[in-house]
Amino acid sequence: MSQSDKDKHDDHGGHGHGHANQSRFIQHHYDDAQHQFDSGKLGIWLFLVQEVLFFSALFVAYILYRHHRPEIYSYAHHYLDVKMGAINTAVLIFSSLTAAWAVRCAQLGQRKGLILTLSITIVCAVAFLVIKYQEYSHKIHEGILFGEKFDPCVSSGGGPLVTKRNLCEGIKSSVVFDRGATYSVATQPTGCLDAAKIDHSPLQPGIQATCKVAEVKFTRDAKGNKTDGAARDIERCEEGYVGGHGAHGEAKGKGPKFPCWTFSANPNICPTGPAVLVHYGDEAVHAGVEIRPTCDAPGPVVNKEVDAATTLAMGKGGTTHEMPKTKHELQHEFSMGPPPPHTNMFFSIYFAMTGLHGIHVLVGILVFLWLLFRAVRGDFTPDYFGPIDYAALYWHIVDLIWIFLFPLLYLIH
Amino acid sequence: MSSTTATPGHEPNYFHAKKGIKNWLYTVDHKRIGLMYLFGILGALLLGGFFALLVRIELFAPGLTIVGKDRYNEFFTLHGAVMVFLVIVPGIPAALGNIMLPIQLGAPDVAFPKLNLASFYLWCVGALLMVYSIANGGVDTGWTFYTPYSLHSAGSVWPAVLGVFLLGFSSIFTGLNFIVTVHKFRPQGMGWFQMPLNVWALYSTAVVQVLATPVLGITVLLLFVERTLHIGIFDPTLGGDPVLFQHFFWFYSHPAVYIMILPAMGVISELMTTFSRKPIFGYRFIAYSSISLALLSFLVWGHHMFVSGQSKLATMVFSALTFSVGIPSAIKVFNWAATLYKGDIRLKSPMYYALSFLLLFTIGGLTGLFLGILSVDVHLHDTYFVVAHFHYVMMGSTLVAFLGGLHYWFPKFTGKMYNEGLAKLCAVGVFLGFNLTFLPQFIMGSRGMPRRYWDYDSEFQIFHQLSTIGAFVLGISIFIQVIYLGIAFKSGKKAPQNPWGATTLEWQAPTPPTEFNFEVPPTLYELYNYDDLEEQPDGNWVRKPGSQPASTSSAHH
Repeated sequence: MSQSDKDKHDDHGGHGHGHANQSRFIQHHYDDAQHQFDSGKLGIWLFLVQEVLFFSALFVAYILYRHHRPEIYSYAHHYLDVKMGAINTAVLIFSSLTAAWAVRCAQLGQRKGLILTLSITIVCAVAFLVIKYQEYSHKIHEGILFGEKFDPCVSSGGGPLVTKRNLCEGIKSSVVFDRGATYSVATQPTGCLDAAKIDHSPLQPGIQATCKVAEVKFTRDAKGNKTDGAARDIERCEEGYVGGHGAHGEAKGKGPKFPCWTFSANPNICPTGPAVLVHYGDEAVHAGVEIRPTCDAPGPVVNKEVDAATTLAMGKGGTTHEMPKTKHELQHEFSMGPPPPHTNMFFSIYFAMTGLHGIHVLVGILVFLWLLFRAVRGDFTPDYFGPIDYAALYWHIVDLIWIFLFPLLYLIH
Repeated sequence: MSSTTATPGHEPNYFHAKKGIKNWLYTVDHKRIGLMYLFGILGALLLGGFFALLVRIELFAPGLTIVGKDRYNEFFTLHGAVMVFLVIVPGIPAALGNIMLPIQLGAPDVAFPKLNLASFYLWCVGALLMVYSIANGGVDTGWTFYTPYSLHSAGSVWPAVLGVFLLGFSSIFTGLNFIVTVHKFRPQGMGWFQMPLNVWALYSTAVVQVLATPVLGITVLLLFVERTLHIGIFDPTLGGDPVLFQHFFWFYSHPAVYIMILPAMGVISELMTTFSRKPIFGYRFIAYSSISLALLSFLVWGHHMFVSGQSKLATMVFSALTFSVGIPSAIKVFNWAATLYKGDIRLKSPMYYALSFLLLFTIGGLTGLFLGILSVDVHLHDTYFVVAHFHYVMMGSTLVAFLGGLHYWFPKFTGKMYNEGLAKLCAVGVFLGFNLTFLPQFIMGSRGMPRRYWDYDSEFQIFHQLSTIGAFVLGISIFIQVIYLGIAFKSGKKAPQNPWGATTLEWQAPTPPTEFNFEVPPTLYELYNYDDLEEQPDGNWVRKPGSQPASTSSAHH
């Protein structure tokens, strides 16, 4: 309703509505500012009821599938990043505070405070989405997706669910981890290991990094069979560790040969994929890295085949470095066993719920940007602050839904 | 009071308040929006009716008559989807309700006029997506979109599903708007129990719209994501549960039946009392039964799924709850019948529809009880008995009430009178055609003719042929109605302010109403008291001198 229409309507006074001395945003068909505010408030509450019901079906689906297949939930939630979820929870709660504060500022006519609190709310909302994006991209990278796109390269031999991230962590955890290494591999389109690198950085302060680069390369014949099945010791340690520690508790002196990382092809696993044998000192420790052909290049989608005994042996190796927490994590990670059937359902629910919630956050950002624009323009007065109030209420429900999602998805056992 | 407003005031009516197509497209006037809805809904009615006739022609003889099996599947799907989502759900609330609810409350507009316009455009986009899915190869899943078939059907499912999603939000926003309007825009002196029963019905409908439709929204959204991204929640091959879809779907779609029937009951309540010249019998019971139907509607969705494999306990509970729906429904029917009793019944064309409704709804409601009985339902499930029951309630009741309401309020919102003789003839045509179409379906359904089948045994042929003939009588009657209403809209006789002698506030508004409905605030007289009204020679009803108002509505609260 444009301004001129309203004036025209006021002129004839058809409804006896007094519009004098009121914000120009009071629409023609309301009696007064209070009438408009009350109507809007009832409207937004009904909208929030609608929102709750909109999400309710997903909560019902969550409850139902969790009731039917609890093992999926207790297995799969390990792949959610609790730290990031917790940060996001804090960010959202804080933004809810600033949104409520914005309402107070609008009521008191504090324009600067209103602009500031709205801005902080927007920044927090954007931060939430950035963190969410990090989590999502990580999962997409690892193939931890919903439905039939759930393809984390599960070991065909019934090994533990190991993803790209796991692989890196697995290697770090079980073999190199204690020494703070990072591990990366590249694959061919066929899924075969093309190259592997270990970047071996210091384990503890005062202990020098030793193995710098390890590389292993395979070639394939026309049929795709690996022709060079033999172990190729192309890795060379540039320098050894300092000080007396080792996999077997032996004190070793400083030297270029310890520990040495040897990458070998395991003919028993190829051509499904090559394996990596890690020689830890004199002893070869099996840390088979299998690359399933189903895993698409590019990206090191690989599966690590580590049996529990090996893991524990490696873990023991780690104990000499007194890193119990790491060991605990390591044992935990690999004691999970193979994924239960239809583990994808957890991620279907996860992506449906968090995705829908994310869309609501996005809508919230757009609404708050619009309100910020209007606040800068000076639209809001103690007589007219309804939109701020309604948007804040909407923001609280978005926050509240997340407060339910976080424990239901991230913190279950 | 009313005679003074009958003389033309200085304000132009809402057709003339602002000129030009742009002022229609951007209008926030509830009457213009309602009128645009009405045109859209009548168009969709003709489209859905066209598919219905194609289905009936195909079934005129066993085997191939005009189209093959797959095309036939698309025809009945599109008939159902268009009729349910584009016609019956929005029909009375969004078109007639939009035009009449604020005026019945003496208010200048609905609470959120811009949201109202947004609802209309959501409806338009939803309708266009539906039409697109027809043009893009059609949908063959049935209007219920049951998984897992709808996940793998080669049909153009996603536009239809997305369309339903948008239509759902159109419906939610209309309901939200109506609830706030009823709460905040009643005039002073109009308490909850001084509201017209049509307002009660629209209010109850709105409650269901806001509480049930979001679940449909998320369900079809998940189906859409399932089709596009294969998320797996309803897909059994990925570990999903297809029956969960049915639960979600019917959690909406059973209450949706009440979104369709409650406003019809509101219209019928108005027609019964007005044309019986008698106060409605049991006002409070009708009002309470509207609300209790709205609430009960949420508790009975499982009766659509007796044979879906849900637990025995659930089927028994749902069966028992289903019977409880009969109580408020019967209260209404008995109250309408009691209103007629010793009434001074005026058989104007809207009353033809009201009386048709009373009979058709009774048949539709009672056959619903058959289906609520577990053992009987196992036999009748997925047969033409269900089709007939459903159409008696959805079409015989809701559509007939929609047509009755359209004829009742047409003079008010267009300012024109239609041809009364033709209107009565078509009303009879609708009633006879409808019964000829669907009574045989009860018989063949109980004898085992399954619904949605393209082919059938020759023993069913006579029933199918009667049904097809009836469908054409029905279709032609409705088509003629659209024609003569269109002619009346363009060049009909000028309508008086209160042609039926009704007592609700809209009849105090100018005909057609001004942009903000009333030039002078309406006066509240006792609701449904017809003693003070008398008919003038020109067909207008005015209050006798000395009528005492209940109170004045100088301001809203």
